[in-house]
This record gives sequence, structure tokens and C-alpha cells, in this order.
Amino acid sequence: MDLRNLSVCQAVEDIHSGEYTAHDLIEKTLENCTLLNESLNIFIHQAGIDALEQAKAIDLRIEKGEKLPLAGIPVAVKDDICYGVLPTSFGSGGFSDFYSPYTATAVEKLMEAGAIVVGKTNLDNMSLGSSTTSSPKGATINPWDNSRAAGSAGAAAVITGAAMVALESDSGGALRQGASSCGVTGLRPTSGLVSRHGLNLHSSSFGQVGVTALTGKNIDAVLQVIAGYDQYDASTLISKDEFIPEIEPAAIDNLKIGFPQSLVEGLEPELKTACQETINLFKEQGFEITDVSLRMLPEALRAYYVIAQAEASSNHARFDGIRFGTASEADNLEELYLKSRSNLLGREGRQRSIYGTYLLGKGNFDLYYRQALKVWNLVRREFALALTGCDLLLMPVVKNLPPLLREEKDLISSWEEDIFCAPVSLSGLPALSFPAGMIGELPVGLQLVGPPFSEKTLTAVSDIVVRDKQLFPHGKA
Amino acid sequence: MSDIEKRFDKAVKTAKLGLSEDEHDRLYQQLGVFLNWLNPLLEVDTAGIEPILLGHNSVNVLREDCARKGVMAELQEAAPEFDQGFYRVPPIIE
Repeated sequence: MDLRNLSVCQAVEDIHSGEYTAHDLIEKTLENCTLLNESLNIFIHQAGIDALEQAKAIDLRIEKGEKLPLAGIPVAVKDDICYGVLPTSFGSGGFSDFYSPYTATAVEKLMEAGAIVVGKTNLDNMSLGSSTTSSPKGATINPWDNSRAAGSAGAAAVITGAAMVALESDSGGALRQGASSCGVTGLRPTSGLVSRHGLNLHSSSFGQVGVTALTGKNIDAVLQVIAGYDQYDASTLISKDEFIPEIEPAAIDNLKIGFPQSLVEGLEPELKTACQETINLFKEQGFEITDVSLRMLPEALRAYYVIAQAEASSNHARFDGIRFGTASEADNLEELYLKSRSNLLGREGRQRSIYGTYLLGKGNFDLYYRQALKVWNLVRREFALALTGCDLLLMPVVKNLPPLLREEKDLISSWEEDIFCAPVSLSGLPALSFPAGMIGELPVGLQLVGPPFSEKTLTAVSDIVVRDKQLFPHGKA
Repeated sequence: MSDIEKRFDKAVKTAKLGLSEDEHDRLYQQLGVFLNWLNPLLEVDTAGIEPILLGHNSVNVLREDCARKGVMAELQEAAPEFDQGFYRVPPIIE
């Protein structure tokens, strides 16, 4: 049984028809998890016996005639999303044995639908980054090229068959870039479509819970379950009364896809080729390709880093060793704060907290923060304007290959990797990264961006490419 | 000490983070690079543009305003003494 040859819908059907049990599927998945974790460092915590017990319970419910839309589906959950059964580290060494008293709404919905969490995946320090290289547990290794980082451990889990689906967070593009680096499909949903209750947000404005899977169709199956109103998250867009029980199936005939030609000029030749091949494939489908203008990406990236750091400085204030996190030994209260916070936040967290505090300080607030909020408005307008002339936008996800494991990039270079993803986060629009080609031995993705709630169109269109381009890594996978 | 350095030191103090001398110096040096990098943001003409606080146009979503059964009865039962709506506890001030 290879999870990579199995769709979510097929597995659910097989389990309901008795082809195999949820227990069989989870047992096999856990074997993969253990084997792969030794070589790739995907998981911070693995579920083990808890997952097998849950699988048994699912099998019993199916025996009694229950229909569960995600029966037995193995899910990996990023370790900044709370799941009460396993510890949650938030990417901090100071939370190694923290059990959240509650489980995130998105995870609860998955479990109610029959899905089973097989492990908590690795992440950057305080989830601040899109490479995993700053993780206190060490980087997750890219299954395609073991000298490079995976970008996202959830994506590495999906491409290697350690999970069928990964639930991940995306602020400036971690989910989408990870999907690109590992050759899988990753969706950042419309802001407010999926509850963020239980996600440790460093950026309240841009952090979202998204889904990574092998295909858009698999993502649809999961999104159908996790989308919608949540009484614990006032930023969920769909009110309880207006909840859409099924997102409308996409009509993808005669689509017009906007492609900002000017963006590709400085890209790697192989990435340009991936863009061109995808455009050719879309043209074969009868889609019209049109040039669009997105001129504000550099300013949008800067606005993102001003707002995100300002918000991180505020959101991380609670990690003080008293309210949250392990308290360091100290002789007095001030020392306790200083030591505990420094330990809990880590290098990246400390830097963003200090710069965020600086940007919000007297004399800087209007100059930087307020200006960034205004530019955010202009960026939203630019994306909205671009979508008036087409149905979807096609854009790159990454500028470069994922970092080498021992590569130390300077601050600005590492932030500029987010040039194609962070501006989309400002737009609030759904974006889906899908495998579109190869740069040498490594996969590379492109992203489709659509109007609010166009998720099903994005997944349907991306699957046209995925059917043509899906590859799997050799060797350890 | 420059204005930027004063503000940086104040931010370090406000953020309540204990930094080694090396890290303090590295972050301060890096701050200059970061602020230079932000210059194109400051050059954007935002006259007449309102700052926004949400990535989407939406109305507030509130849960239903309905009464729930609280835990008052259990608390009263567990309290050593309850009198006219108040919990009576031993004095803590001499």
C-alpha cells in the first residue's frame, strides 16, 4: 500500500467497502513515518499508539454503518497548530513538553470527519521562516536532494507517503514555498475561510491554516470539512447562518489566466521554462493567457515585513515563562522575564520582537507601520484590479532553490525569497502552489491566485498540470 | 548615541529580552540594513489612502447572545462561606 498512489477519496471508499481497514492504513503510515523520520527529520512528535487506537475506533464506527468523509486518512499537523493529544512546541525549545489544553478547530473538524493525526511536523523557530533551517530540532531534509532543506516538513511528509494530507500554516508563504520545494500541491485559502483557532499566530493579519496534499482533488476533500464558521474565531468570514455546505464545483471552461510577464525576467532559466510549459498546457486546454501588471510586489514585501514584525512583537509578549512557556531560573522577576523570553523566542523570535517593537515605537509608528498599512490597501487594490481582466493569476512561488542545510543567508536575502508569496498574503486571496517543473533534480512550483472563495477552481485548474507533471523523489522516499 | 541607537535600546528594553553583547551589536547593525531596505516603502505615494486592518471586506461575526448555565451554583457549594452574593474569606490585611 503506497499512500502516494492513493487518493483521499479512494482511500475513504476502500475503508468503507472493507477493502482494508483504517487500522491497516494507519499502521502502514506509521511505519513510513518512523522510517522516514530517521533520515529526513519530518516529525517533532509521532502519534504511535494513539493513532492506532483512533483508527480502531473509526473502524468500529464504520462497522456500525457510519459514513465518515475522511475515514482513516492520515494527517500530519504542523507543530504550531494545537493538538491536545501530542505536545505542541511552536518551534521553540522552551515548549518541548507543552500539551495544549485544547485542539485547534481545523484539527477537531478533521478528526470528527474520521481523519487521524499521525504526527506533528517540524517548523522554523516560532514558525518564523519558510525553510525549517531555524528549527530547534534541526532542518527537515529535502527528499529530492538531501543537501537541501525541505522548506516545509508537511510537504516532505506528503511527497514521501508519511501522510496523505498535511495541515499547515502560511503567513508569508511557508506552505506554498514548501509545496514548491517538495513537488506537492499546497493551498493557502481565502482569509477567513478556515478557522485559525488553535494556530499560534505570529502575524494576526496574514497567518492562515492551509492544506498540503498530492493533488488539488485531495485538498478539496479536506477543505470541504475544515472550511466554515467557528464561534472561537471571529475572523471566520462565513457566518453560521450563511455557511456554504458545499463549495460550488468549478466551471473551468474558457478561463482567462493573467500572467505578469515582467516578473519572470530575473528568474532561473528552468523556472522560466516551467512557466512557459504551464502556459502551453493551459493554452491546450483552451484557456486564454493575458499579460497583467503587478508592479507593487517589492513595496508589498516590505509592508509585509513591517506589519508582520510589529504583530509578532505583540503576539509574542505572552511568551514570558509565566503565562506561557518554561520559566528560566532567576533571582528576581525582571531577570526571569529576560531569561525566559530569550530562551522561549529563539534567535529569529528575538530579532522580530525587537524590530517589531522598534517599528511601533514613538517616531516610527506613523513613518513605518501606518505607511505599511496604507501600502497594504494599495496592494489589495492592485490584485483586485489585476483580477478584473482575468479569472485567475499565474505567478512564480520561489525565486531560488530551497537553501542548503548549512547555508546562512543574510536577513534581507532570506526575506526577498518571499517576493512572490508575501504580497499574495496581503491580498487576502486564495493561492495554490502546484508542481510545474524541475530545476535540476529539484521540483519547482507555480501558484494560481483567484478571487475570494475560488478554491475549487484553483484545485481543478492545478490538477490539469499535476496530472501531467507529478513526480516522486527517488532514494529515501 | 544616535536617535536610532537610543530607540533600538529602548525597543530591546521594552521587549524584555536579554541579549548577549554580540547579539545586541549584530541586531543593531542589521537594523540599519533593514531600515535602508524599507526606503522604497516610504517613497510610495499614499496621500488619501486609508490604512486597513483586515485582509478582507467583512462584517463582524458574533456568536448568539444567549444565556448559558454558569458554574455559580457549584462555586457557591464549594465555597466555605457565601453571604448575600459574596464569598466570605479570612482577612489578609492585619
